[in-house]
Amino acid sequence: MLTSILLQVAGASESFLQFLMENIQVFLSYTGFANATSGHFIMLLVGLLFIFLAVKYEFEPMLLIPIGFGMLIGNIPFKDAGLQLGIYEEGSVLNILYQGVVQGWYPPLIFLGIGAMTDFSALISNPKLLLVGAAAQFGIFGAYMIALQMGFDPSQAAAIGIIGGADGPTAIFLSSKLAPNLMGAIAVSAYSYMALVPIIQPPFMRLLTTQKERLIRMKPPRAVSQTEKVMFPIIGLLLTAFLVPSGLPLLGMVFFGNLLKESGVTRRLAETARGPLIDTITILLGITVGASTQATQFLTLNSVKIFGLGALSFVIATCAGVLFVKFFNLFLKEGNKINPLIGNAGVSAVPDAARISQNVGMEYDPSNYLLMHAMGPNVAGVIGSAVAAGILLGFLG
Amino acid sequence: MVNKKIGVLLLFMVLLSFGAKAQLTTSVRINEVLVVNEDNFVDDYGKRHAWIELFNNSAGSVNLAGCYLTNDKNNPKKYMIPKGDVLTKIPPYQHTLFWADNYADRGTFHVNFSLDPNTENYIALYDADGTTLIDEITIPAGQKADISYGLDMDGTGKWTTLTKVTPSTNNVTLDSNAKIENFQVNDSWGIGMTITAMAVTFLGLIVLYLLFKQVGNASIRISKRNAQKAAEKEGNAISTNAGQESGEIFAAIATALYEMNDDNHDIENTVLTIRKVQRSYSPWSSKIYTLRQTPNKK
Repeated sequence: MLTSILLQVAGASESFLQFLMENIQVFLSYTGFANATSGHFIMLLVGLLFIFLAVKYEFEPMLLIPIGFGMLIGNIPFKDAGLQLGIYEEGSVLNILYQGVVQGWYPPLIFLGIGAMTDFSALISNPKLLLVGAAAQFGIFGAYMIALQMGFDPSQAAAIGIIGGADGPTAIFLSSKLAPNLMGAIAVSAYSYMALVPIIQPPFMRLLTTQKERLIRMKPPRAVSQTEKVMFPIIGLLLTAFLVPSGLPLLGMVFFGNLLKESGVTRRLAETARGPLIDTITILLGITVGASTQATQFLTLNSVKIFGLGALSFVIATCAGVLFVKFFNLFLKEGNKINPLIGNAGVSAVPDAARISQNVGMEYDPSNYLLMHAMGPNVAGVIGSAVAAGILLGFLG
Repeated sequence: MVNKKIGVLLLFMVLLSFGAKAQLTTSVRINEVLVVNEDNFVDDYGKRHAWIELFNNSAGSVNLAGCYLTNDKNNPKKYMIPKGDVLTKIPPYQHTLFWADNYADRGTFHVNFSLDPNTENYIALYDADGTTLIDEITIPAGQKADISYGLDMDGTGKWTTLTKVTPSTNNVTLDSNAKIENFQVNDSWGIGMTITAMAVTFLGLIVLYLLFKQVGNASIRISKRNAQKAAEKEGNAISTNAGQESGEIFAAIATALYEMNDDNHDIENTVLTIRKVQRSYSPWSSKIYTLRQTPNKK
């Protein structure tokens, strides 16, 4: 009797243990450890590198921290069991937040904030600097031509080329329309290189300029009236959007934000646009772009090519800006000449590219302040890259 | 003055309403018609009848509820598309199909008239007011069985006998991206795109440059003139450089003002201290008011 009870208990406990073991096995199969691949670890390391660069060297921390952490979130491996976890699973929280990137409505909102925080005075006082901003857009088309030769189709090449505009929101906007499958790589590449402009640009600025050119002192910008500041966004919008209607979401928002700032009667709206709004969108954009780099989707040969082309496009844009200023100087009178060290600022990485002009300029003449002058082509670059994106979308969209 | 303002406002609203109209029912087109349906698309009752396909030629959804379909020029309100059916909303660049079977009691998409293959068939779509004509077409008599008559490009193009019948789908099936292919064939190096795009970018910014150069010159002239007037009032001579002061001068003045204002403040004590307030009694801190009263048991 006792034996049979003991046997029953032993049998029951054995089956219970088996049940427990099976449960644990099922649980283990759901953990990140069981589903990890080498790709996940590579992407996690890249995410950690981004966070390290942001914290240690303060390389664009506002972008690299959200993107870096997003990479960690996006590359936690999990079993695809329809639990709506991943960013590519319809209905998941991350997927809902990611729609702002996919549908392209985060970038225009960022542009609204950029418009509300940008002072176009430097450009208005010396409007010829607009042309430097136009010239630097050659980075986009240089990269476009190379991408075509590397086997990308025209719409993919255009989406990759826009990295050369050094404008994250524009890159996301265009790639979401022309090459959604490459958007993650393009966005990460654009933001990474924007953070790395202090490393990429100076060697080419030094290489392409002479000692005499680096010492050119530019006339101080004149004071700009309130009326001119109010007119600029209105005329700017009408002119550029009529020319390139496909750039309307970006151009409309950047000029609208600027009018909020300059009209002087919508202070609260301008403050919201350049403060809480842009901060909120930057957080959402950064974290979702980072999370979109899931190793399974992101680690491809194309991504590697895009990173290479991205770096190249920044170099081309920098060189084009500097060389254009040198060329432009041939037609300018002595005293009106432009210091070619502000040519790099034609890319729209505001205000980093302008700060680089200032820093490199001060290496050669510590009393030559180029920052204000460099802000001209820098903000022209924002307009130029939005126009270029509109053109590409018009041709290939 | 007030009337003028109201006039401008009204004009603005009228212009806006014209703009908004572009996304409304006026964007809908009669897109394809099959008059003789012998061996083609069947309806939800398993029957074959003539059908009329409408196409929303806009980027916004359009709701046809309340609009009218007719085959009679003298009776624009012959069949009102019923309200309250979500299916009457056509998504952007999509189609919807109406059965011309003269069985209106079979549902929203069955109209109260039919098409006669032996005569010309007039078909029109009217807006909800019953007077605004949205689109109309006269289908020639003698249509062949199972051959539809439609636009050679969806929503646009010319009416013709179509080579294939395409109910609720595009009349023209695009199986390639012509734009991309064109670039791949004619501009494989991307030079054409680069030249065009750079030219457009430069053009836009050159015009902006020229415009703001003029605006800047005008602004300098105006500020000079204003300064001149102010000086004349005060009887002072004015410098020829007035209005062209550099930002650096203003920056220096601003810095000086800031420093002066800053000096006006004493260095304030930033140490926080907590000083206990000695107060023997206050009704606000009295416990007696916070205690529950003992019930009176009388």
